[in-house]
Amino acid sequence: MIDEQDKLLPIANVGRIMKHILPRNAKISKEAKETMQECVSEFISFITSEASDKCHKENRKTVNGDDICWALSSLGFDNNSEVMLKYLHKFREYERQKAEQNKASSSEEKDDVTSYRLGLQPDTSTPLEFRVLDKGGSSSANPK
Amino acid sequence: MKRAGTYSGILSGGISGKTGPHLLPLARIKKIMKQSSDDVKMISGEAPIVFSKACELLIEEITKRAWNITVQGKRRTICKEDVASAVITTDTFDFLVNLVSDSANSQESPRP
Repeated sequence: MIDEQDKLLPIANVGRIMKHILPRNAKISKEAKETMQECVSEFISFITSEASDKCHKENRKTVNGDDICWALSSLGFDNNSEVMLKYLHKFREYERQKAEQNKASSSEEKDDVTSYRLGLQPDTSTPLEFRVLDKGGSSSANPK
Repeated sequence: MKRAGTYSGILSGGISGKTGPHLLPLARIKKIMKQSSDDVKMISGEAPIVFSKACELLIEEITKRAWNITVQGKRRTICKEDVASAVITTDTFDFLVNLVSDSANSQESPRP
């Protein structure tokens, strides 16, 4: 029976997502959550199979995010597909910027990451006006 | 402070395997993906992350529809039949019809 659980997403997580969009006085039976767990697993399998078929036809070995988005769209989850693509592109953008950040310097990493977390992007196109507060004394943003 | 949305959720938590900003465990999603077909051999790191969001949207959609049915029945507790009805009445969820019907059938007393 424990094996069964491996094929399902945790009921607590599923329940939490369900509760999130319901009014406060709404309740969810345990069986309803269990049914939802099974639906989600079936959904993952369904979409993955489609995405995997596409990869196979294109002689690719790795199923990536774009394939999943394509499969979502192909199987009628159009609205989701658009949202997913945006999500994916933003995620990739984040990854790319993170990689660039890491390359730039590791000493000033903390400051940049903090401002990055606030959704602000460090402006490296114009020379920084150094506020006296700068900690690392770094001048990598100052092009010479 | 801005409410953490999809994007800032990623920023604050990163893409480690933790449940973190993702509402669903990525490792488990990956496992389920692998079980779906023998052809699935390699999965990129971003695929489970995309699924995490897609599954969230799916759960929300089915739940909303199920809740409408619950309310129509003047109830406050979503039962599994409400979920089943929500699935059956939505074209996009055709692939789930057998699954929810099976669930419903298994509730009946099995023949000796």
